[in-house]
Amino acid sequence: MNVQAKHSADADTVEDALSARNYEEAVVDSESATALAMQNTLLTPRFYTTDFDKLDAIDVSPVRADWDQLIDQMKSDPNKGHFKKNEDWDHIDWDGMEPKLKKEFIDFLVSSCTAEFSGCVLYKEMKRRGSNEDITTLFQLMARDEARHAGFINDALREAGIAVNLGFLTQAKKYTYFQPKFIYYATYLSEKIGYARYITIYRHLEAHPEHRFHPIFKWFKEWCNDEFSHGEAFALLMKTDPKLTSGMNVLWIKFFLTAVFATMYVRDHQRPAFHEALGVDTDWYGHEVFRKTSDISKQIFPITLDIDHPRWQKGLNALQAANVDLADAKAHGKVFKRIGASIRAGLAFVNLYTIPAKSHALPASTRLEPVY
Amino acid sequence: MGWMTKTTETAPCEVEVSHKFESLHAHVKFLNGATINPGDEVLVHGAPVMAPYGEVVCETRTATITRASKIEQIWTRMTGDFEFMELCEFSFSEEVSL
Repeated sequence: MNVQAKHSADADTVEDALSARNYEEAVVDSESATALAMQNTLLTPRFYTTDFDKLDAIDVSPVRADWDQLIDQMKSDPNKGHFKKNEDWDHIDWDGMEPKLKKEFIDFLVSSCTAEFSGCVLYKEMKRRGSNEDITTLFQLMARDEARHAGFINDALREAGIAVNLGFLTQAKKYTYFQPKFIYYATYLSEKIGYARYITIYRHLEAHPEHRFHPIFKWFKEWCNDEFSHGEAFALLMKTDPKLTSGMNVLWIKFFLTAVFATMYVRDHQRPAFHEALGVDTDWYGHEVFRKTSDISKQIFPITLDIDHPRWQKGLNALQAANVDLADAKAHGKVFKRIGASIRAGLAFVNLYTIPAKSHALPASTRLEPVY
Repeated sequence: MGWMTKTTETAPCEVEVSHKFESLHAHVKFLNGATINPGDEVLVHGAPVMAPYGEVVCETRTATITRASKIEQIWTRMTGDFEFMELCEFSFSEEVSL
């Protein structure tokens, strides 16, 4: 695109955003003036490589009609310009916020920002190294969204006096490896569970606005629609090769479902004050998110986890308890407790993984719309 | 690449850091076409590239790429997948109780 975008939030690509005019007009606050007052948080994203030849070999012809429609929709960028603060962005009294809630909420924002940022780094790398135009276009569009979300969260953090430090580039970074099919399973689930998490909070706060303690929650709907579209793209990618969702790979799918759900459960229980302030019961929230994610993932995964099985909640509780003990053992250098807690966590995970899954036939048409 | 030995090389690179409301990102692009393989390590020379809030900074720098040995590369390919949880939105915090 040669036309210079007026504002980078209105740009179609990261490159366009970078050449937008608002750079020159941007209010630049001096790093040195604010550095002392700001608490510095170094972002530490991980760097990945994958089998780029395999990615290039993807042929989207079997899903061409759905693919083109989705890419066109992403290109049209319905959320263009959405991630700007407007009059709905209420003032937040950060100093008056209860310290435990503040700590947990900031942790929530920093972890969300890091995840968006890491997604952006991964997608951008795939865009750069690939040569298949269908695939590079998709990853470019997703990198655009992730960078936009990261910028939005970063701004909320700045209001709280947290400066995100991007100085990690000049530290030695090791590149780890991720097989393409694991990227599909993990990022598909991560995008869809992200959608389910954000929309569940959004709908809850719609019904209970008195619990909305920060304006960022008002932006969750459009935000999670981006996550939903990204998930749709990965579902279509998996649809191009039936081997990805059959045979031994079903065991991998089950592994990723269990790992993602269990990790979410454990992490959410680390933020009791955050969930209390939202007026959300953490167990209810977890179950609701698992239910939505399971329903959505039937579009492409031939199994769903039996989250109503009596062993499911028990296993999650055991994993959570082992995790708390593990952290305590690490913090205090207790070697035997650490070994014991690690074994318990491993057993709890195996216990969850071995709950029989529910099988079902895949629908002929993969595409879904966000309806929650 | 040796089976046990690491080699190093330097490459010119472009570092772009955007610290803006609309986009927060940071990328390194090698200008000589060098590509990174599993287990390789990249170090961009010089002071941290810092973009003040609201700005994008692009700088040309030199990077040292430490190539993993063949064994390390195979090891990274085998084990790297288990770090995938870091991609999930909720999985970054290291602290168990806040």
